[in-house]
Formats: sequence, C-alpha cells, structure tokens
Amino acid sequence: MKSARRKIIALAMVLVLALTFALAGCSSSSDKKITIGSKDFTENTVLGEIFAQLIEAKTNLKVERKLSMGGTFVNFEAIKNGQIDIYPEYTGTALTAQLKMDVLNDPDETYRIVSEEFDKQFNIKWLKPLGLNNTYTLAVTNEVYEKYGIETFSDLAAISENLIFGAEHEFFDRPDGFDGLVETYGMKFKGEPKKMNVSLKYQAIGNGEIDVTDAFATDGQIMQYNLKILKDDKLFFPPYYAAPIIRKETLEKHPELEEVLNSLAGLLDDATMTELNYKVDVQNQDIKAVAQEFLKGKGLI
Amino acid sequence: MSNLAQYIIEHLFIVLIATGISVAIGVVLGIISYWLRFAAQIILWFSETIQTVPALALLAILMVIFGLGNATIIAGLTLYALLPIVRNTYTGLTSVPAPIKEAARGMGMSKLQRLFLVELPLAFPLIFSGIKISVVNSLSIAVMGVLIGAGGLGFPIYRGIQTQNFRLIMSGALPVVVMAVLFDYLMSLIQKRLTKH
Amino acid sequence: MNFIEFVSRNRAVILSSLVQHIYLVCVSVFAGILVSIPAGILLSRHRKIADKILAVVGIVQTIPGLVMLGFALLLFGVGNTPALVVLSVYSILPILRNTYTGLTEVQPGLIEAGYGIGMTSSQLLFKVQLPLALPSIISGIRISTVYIVSWAALAALIGAGGLGDLIWTGLSTYNTNYILAGAIPSAILAFLFSGLIGAVQRLATPRGLKEVKHDE
Repeated sequence: MKSARRKIIALAMVLVLALTFALAGCSSSSDKKITIGSKDFTENTVLGEIFAQLIEAKTNLKVERKLSMGGTFVNFEAIKNGQIDIYPEYTGTALTAQLKMDVLNDPDETYRIVSEEFDKQFNIKWLKPLGLNNTYTLAVTNEVYEKYGIETFSDLAAISENLIFGAEHEFFDRPDGFDGLVETYGMKFKGEPKKMNVSLKYQAIGNGEIDVTDAFATDGQIMQYNLKILKDDKLFFPPYYAAPIIRKETLEKHPELEEVLNSLAGLLDDATMTELNYKVDVQNQDIKAVAQEFLKGKGLI
Repeated sequence: MSNLAQYIIEHLFIVLIATGISVAIGVVLGIISYWLRFAAQIILWFSETIQTVPALALLAILMVIFGLGNATIIAGLTLYALLPIVRNTYTGLTSVPAPIKEAARGMGMSKLQRLFLVELPLAFPLIFSGIKISVVNSLSIAVMGVLIGAGGLGFPIYRGIQTQNFRLIMSGALPVVVMAVLFDYLMSLIQKRLTKH
Repeated sequence: MNFIEFVSRNRAVILSSLVQHIYLVCVSVFAGILVSIPAGILLSRHRKIADKILAVVGIVQTIPGLVMLGFALLLFGVGNTPALVVLSVYSILPILRNTYTGLTEVQPGLIEAGYGIGMTSSQLLFKVQLPLALPSIISGIRISTVYIVSWAALAALIGAGGLGDLIWTGLSTYNTNYILAGAIPSAILAFLFSGLIGAVQRLATPRGLKEVKHDE
C-alpha cells in the first residue's frame, strides 16, 4: 500500500517540522539583549518606552519590549524569573502589594525599605526615583462633587451608599486596595462594586455606569472627563514614587544601565507625567512618538 | 506594519506547534482508545471535559504551572485541540469495516502492521477532519494568549480594546478570521481529495 | 490561605459573581433561541440560500471573543449590554445550524404523508417537523449554552461581572485562590447545564432516532 506509507511519512514530516519549530522557538538568549516590561496602563507603558529608547540610544544593547504585559504581579513574576530585566514600579505598590507590609506615609522611608528588601529577597535593585508620585486616589464626577459638596474621602464615606464604585480587578486584591480603603473609612457603596479592565474605568464613569473610581493621580483622563480628585484625609494610600527596577544579575552584566537610567532621576514629575499621559490617552498620540519627544526635549537623545 | 507581520508569524507559530503536539498526543490517545475499549470511555470523557472548562479559566490555571508566555497558550491550545482529534481518530478506526480487518489478519499482519498499513490510512480522512477543526478553533482561541503574556494577534486586539481604537482591533482580528477561513477551506479541499480514494 | 478558607471568607462575592454569570448565560441563550429557531425554520424553506447564510454565520463564529467584545465596547460602552449582545450573537450558530439540520432531515416520506392527510404547511411544521427536529434543536441549545458559559468569563473585562471577575482578579494578582474560585464554578456550571439540557434532549428524542457521533 504505497499511498498509505506516503501518508504516514507525510504525517511524520509534519511532526518533525513542528518539533524543529518548537526547538528553534526556544531561542537562545543573546547576551547583548535586555527585555523591558511594563504594566498594562498608559503611564507605565510610556515609562517603559522611555527606558527602552534611552537605553537604545546610550548603549549598544538591543532592547526587546514586552510592554503592556499585564498587571503588577504579572510583571513582578516576569522580572523575578528573568523573562524581563527592567520595568517601572512604584514604591507604595512594592511595599504593600509585593512585600505585603503595612502602609507607610514617609516617601523616603518607603523607598529605603523597598530598596533594601527587594535587594535582599529578590535580587532586584531600585534605581533613582523619576520624580512622580502616582498615588491611588478617588475620583468622582463633577455632578457628584456639586451635588454632595464633598472634598475628602471621609466626606465621600458619609454619602457612599448613594454611589456605585468601579475599579480594575487588581484593586480588589491588594492590601492598599478596596478592602483596606473601605474598612479605614467605613465606606459602603451601592450594590456590588463593578470590576473591569483598567483602561475602561474612565469610560464607565463618563457614561454613568459608575460614580466613583480609583484614579491614578497622573491619569490624563481626569482632565478629560472633568473629574474631581478627593483628599485622602486619613492618609490611607502610601506614597507611590515611580522608579525603574532592574534585576541585579542584568546590572552586573551591563553596569552602564545604572547610569543611563539614573539620568532620568527627577525629570518626570507629576505635571510632566500627566502631560505625557494626556497626550497618549486623550490626544491619541503614538506612545513611541511621545516618548521620543520627551527624551529629545530633555536633551537625552 | 512590520509589527503586524511579526504578530501574524508568532500567532501561526503558536497554533502550529500546539497542533503538532496535539496531533501527536491525540492520535496516540485515539489508537489507545481503539485498542483498549475500557480506556476509550475515560479518554473521551477527559477530552470532552476539557472543552467545558472556560478558556480563560484553563489558561489561568495553566499560567500558574507554565508561567507567563507562549508555553501556557500552547499548552492550553493543545488541550482544547484534543477532543476533535481523539474522537475522530477513534471513530475513524472503529469505522474500518470488519471484513477488511479480517482480511488483514488473514494475510498474517501483526496488530501494529494492521494499524499502520490498513486502519490508520483508512481512518485518515476523518482524522484529518479533526485536525482541521482543531486548527480553525485554535486560530481563534490563540487570541486569548495575550491575557497571559503570550504573543500573537491577541496583542493588537487587546491594545485596541484598551485604547478604543477600532483600526487596531481590526488589524489583529482580520488576519485571524482570514487565516481561519483559509485553513478551513484548504484543509476541506485536501480532505475531499483524501476521501475520494 | 488555603482554598477552603478562601472560599468561605469570600463566599459573598463568589456567590454574586456566580449569580451574575448565570444571568448572562440565560439571557443570551434565550435571545439566541428567539432568533435562531425562527431563522432556522425560514432557512429550511429556502434551502438554496441556506448554505450561504450558514457559511456566513460560521465565519462570524470564528471571530475571537475578545474582538467581538471590543466591537461591542465601541458601540455600547461598558457594562452588561455589550456583553449580552456579544454572547447572544455567539449563541446563535449552534442553535441555528441544528434547527436547520433537524428540520431538513425529516424524512420526505413523512412530509408527503402529512400533505396526504390534508395538513397545511404550518400544521406540518408544528405537528410533524418541529417535534421530530426537537432533539437536534435541543442539542444545539446545549452546545450553545456550554459555549456561552465559557465565553461569559470574558465579560468581566468590560464590566459585566460574572465568574470572570474572580478569574481576572486572580490573574492580575497571581492569586491562585481567586483563579480557582472562578474556574471551578464555571466548569461545574458548564457540566450542570450540559447534563440538564442533555436529559431534556433524551426525553425529547423519540425511540428510533439515533445519533452518529463524529465531527464532520
């Protein structure tokens, strides 16, 4: 049965091909390449892109981008197991979400602790803070603000039963998140909180699906949707100073990265970052272009 | 636009590898089900059960085992591809008419010889049909890979959703649908030619 | 925290997610039925275009769930509405195809006989064709339902809630407990629905109609 044999050979060839593909796919990691990750919201992606372009310009390393990969923990796992070498992290997040320690309010103390612990526990180094403090905060629509005349989180708590709360899924499983917030302030929102992809919060508040959301202080959409930011009067949220974090292993192989990334220290304050975010989210400019414009403007590339 | 080509290649790569692995495993499982009828129940039940687990849930669980990235989506696609392949292999083999099996036995063939020289070739069209279904399904499901850190066309789609950019969504969706339709059409043609013999 | 502890601690949110999930599934499948069965009947009367229409619907089915959600998001915004629209569209194909096949596979002899004893077209439909097609239709509903239970997990991304909320929270924070708390109930739900509808299907199958099990 010649045709039978032919068919079996064909099948075998397909399998061999697939296996070859598989083995080829496990590409050897080049020593001259580093990978930069980022969380899947605009600011973090912009920061990641800025790191990438700076490194490409100032060193002879090749940069692979794995931007907008997922939430905090996705990136954290990835950097721990070497899938990425660098990503932008926030001190407050690191303190409460990754180190699972209690909230602190002193920015310098927070930075000191996360630096020490990440070094000790995970072999990850914190480079110099970029300047911005992208804290969690609460935002309400202008209507709500006018109607209830609220200024602080405590004010909000008093009338919270009239409002629907919405946030990204991650917010509901973090110590510096929903549960802690609600407990500290005694908030009790209407119905079940709505959970959705981080990029959709503002659309939801814009069309009235939700009344209150956890905003990131430097989000461009706050301006766009004319939202009011409330004051964290009991100082529930820790400071969230952003900085590049890098695997020490990578730093040892390429020590020049430290100086390159530290050249960004203090250059990205709240106002600057908000503006960059606004350009991407509201004016729909391309992230690569925005990052490039920023770096050129600061004379870095 | 070169980005798009990269996504398409990644996407195909993931689907083809997963298909390759599931063919290898699926056909073997199908053969085992054919030879050991009691195993057939278990194997078929297992394959059917996987289908009922929601894709997102399965991928989430696999992610904990395989970590982020392509390995997880390939594992997930392989599992989802099992049922059509296993079931069709099993049905194909059991549908070989008894007189033919008798004749083969009469000619002095061993069980293995009968399998490779008679039964598998006759079952091939149906097996191929199962592979076709797997490939078409996998092309679509592979999009979810982006949610657990894998590459492929899911990435522009997801970014498009996040930035509410219709064109970006389409740039990912269109290749997926085109590939699905193309593979389905081409493989159906091949299947018809195989059945003609 | 071990899983059992986790479940009992969070049973309120798990339960409400489950209820929302069931709601999404039931409404979309019901909507799918409302569209598919009349459409299937119509197609069975116009067989020439039926193939083409089924092919088109088949192509829609290959559009990944994430993409459909994206489109619905652009059209309807965030919340239950876009999710229900997408899920309803997805539930159509299996029911439509099985309604069509069920009706067209009724033996011509029976149709002849029906006309012979003076039945009108609609009497024929309701007294002969539909009852005979019922097992096939119910099978289509079963396939749809299991399919939708699975895809409804994505609805959480656009704020429609459901068990996907738990899975997605777990994915965001690498928390296996949350992932399992969403995954296990959805698998069980799919099983239950499949079993229940399967039982109804067996009740509706007249003796003598057999099913040949393979995928074509």
